Amino acid sequence: MVILRAGLCPGLTAEMIQLLKANSIATVVDLVSSDLEEVARKCSLSYKALVAVRRVLLAQFSAFPVNGADLYEELKSSTAILSTGSRSLDRLLDSGLYTGEVTELTGAPGSGKTQVCLSIAMSTSHDLKQNVLYVDSTGGFTASRLLQLAQTRTGDEEEQVEALQRIQVARVFDVYKMLDVLQELRCSVSQQVLSSLGPVKVLVVDSVSAVICPLLGGRQAEGLALMMQLARELKTLARELSMAVVVTNHVTRDGSSGHLKPALGRSWSFVPSTRVLLESREGTWGKASTRRIASLTKSSRQPTGIEVELDIGSCGVLEESPAASGEGC
Amino acid sequence: MQRDVGSFPLAPGLRAKLIGAGFQTAQELLEIGPCELSKEIGISKEEALETLQIVRRECNSNATKTAGDPEAVGKCTALELLAQEQAQGFIITFCSALDDILGGGVQLTKITEICGAPGVGKTQLCMQLAVDVQIPECFGGLAGEAVFIDTEGSFMVDRVVDIATACVQHCQLIAETHQEEDFQKSLETFSFESILSHIYYFRCHDYTELLAQIYLLPDFLSEHSKVRLVIVDGIAFPFRHDFEDLSLRTRLLNGLAQQLISIANAHKLAVVLTNQMTTRIGQSQSMLVPALGESWGHAATIRLIFHWDNKQRLATLYKSPSQKESTVPFHITHTP
Repeated sequence: MVILRAGLCPGLTAEMIQLLKANSIATVVDLVSSDLEEVARKCSLSYKALVAVRRVLLAQFSAFPVNGADLYEELKSSTAILSTGSRSLDRLLDSGLYTGEVTELTGAPGSGKTQVCLSIAMSTSHDLKQNVLYVDSTGGFTASRLLQLAQTRTGDEEEQVEALQRIQVARVFDVYKMLDVLQELRCSVSQQVLSSLGPVKVLVVDSVSAVICPLLGGRQAEGLALMMQLARELKTLARELSMAVVVTNHVTRDGSSGHLKPALGRSWSFVPSTRVLLESREGTWGKASTRRIASLTKSSRQPTGIEVELDIGSCGVLEESPAASGEGC
Repeated sequence: MQRDVGSFPLAPGLRAKLIGAGFQTAQELLEIGPCELSKEIGISKEEALETLQIVRRECNSNATKTAGDPEAVGKCTALELLAQEQAQGFIITFCSALDDILGGGVQLTKITEICGAPGVGKTQLCMQLAVDVQIPECFGGLAGEAVFIDTEGSFMVDRVVDIATACVQHCQLIAETHQEEDFQKSLETFSFESILSHIYYFRCHDYTELLAQIYLLPDFLSEHSKVRLVIVDGIAFPFRHDFEDLSLRTRLLNGLAQQLISIANAHKLAVVLTNQMTTRIGQSQSMLVPALGESWGHAATIRLIFHWDNKQRLATLYKSPSQKESTVPFHITHTP
């Protein structure tokens, strides 16, 4: 709903706008959807001028359909698939993280979401030599753990330092600051501000539910509105700036069935294109284990229900080799 | 500034009016003055002025951020964070097994949650930590102060005196064996009276007081900048009884958690919370799990669960971003 302003298109003068406003036509939508003959009569404006203005406005503001083949070609040339560093996780995600899409990791506390995020950040930074922006809203980001992951990948200190430098960290604890950071990322890329690092390829948001949960519920719909705003920012960043976006989400207990389900409700469930659930093996507290099971709960490319095993131990997220026991770190 | 109007911290009614009048981006708002704004959407001139000030302030800070250094945003590279982390200290617990599984002690800028059945030692550990944070730097401590927020009334001053005296004796023994100047000097100021005087104690009787206390904490902390530890003993207690609206409880708890982690980050201190246990009845057996529900489990960065095993107290590290899960035994003694 864009307001009519002078100079929005040639032929739209300030006097025209005043006359239109007097007849309660204030936005582009109002003008385009009204009967121009009536308007010309009521506002005593020229019919031809109004038709010309409408044509220009339609051309400016409407969306154009794209041919499917063109869309496919465009996607082929602009999408990249970034490996997560773990072969089994890549298998789950259909060979890795796709740019232009939002991938979500959910799981109970202690299931390893932050570990997987750190591992993805480190492998993008070190193996693929791309920049990463890590937005932390829970305080779970530990740089020393990142150093450990770097040390298992290379023994060379210079490379470790370089890998750490390519990861930028922003610590935000409420939703407005998070929107700030995302907006600023978009501005800096669109204005082509050359930071010392270069374009960001992977955006990790850990976690999105920590900032949204305090706002949801109750009688106000404001929480939902902010959640959708955040979703829109993430999707815009993913698609327009060709980034791969990874978000983490909490789980809550379903009231009726008692099962665990991802938090933030059904509206959020349409936002990520791929959802992975992390669980630890059933066991009592006595047995400490670093094995986790990752299952695909939503994907546009693979059948859901695929499960792989991950080891989030000191080696980072490595695959479980069936022959060896996954040790040897 | 193509920032969407919906992303500014404005009141919901105001936001609805702005969007209804057709404003979409901040640019459009900045172009008109407060009088026109108040006429367009039907709000008072003061409200219009306030709104424009908020928008202008956010946009200006954005402009300086993109033009200048990334430090202003609060962004830094992982390398700088690593340097910061390595320079930070830990708060030791005086139980080496516990310190080991925690990776050196209670970490700063993180929330540590201690859950356990009644009588297992949560408040004891909290009191120990309140004393340990004050150990002078030459002995490996942080020389900080502590804030103790008590909701259950379990803070026993006599026990703190015991712990403090034992701690001072321990430091004196170290000083004797090392014979260095600064050890003696710091020992002069480190006595149990000074320890007790640097523990700031607040008593909250219900959840409203607790929430108010935590929201007022940043002002308190800016006056007392040496505080390095905030303990909330019994975060479950005010929220568990007499609370009908469970979704309100979840919202309040999540907001509380975000407030605590932002305090921990901004003032570089550690936050320690204690939680109670509740029984969850599964399909075949019943288990003891931490109280306050699933969503609360995500609030704490580090979770320690204390439990009994045939008269032996055990501590399990259940959740941590940098340490592995493990279980160790510990004791509570007269002199720690």
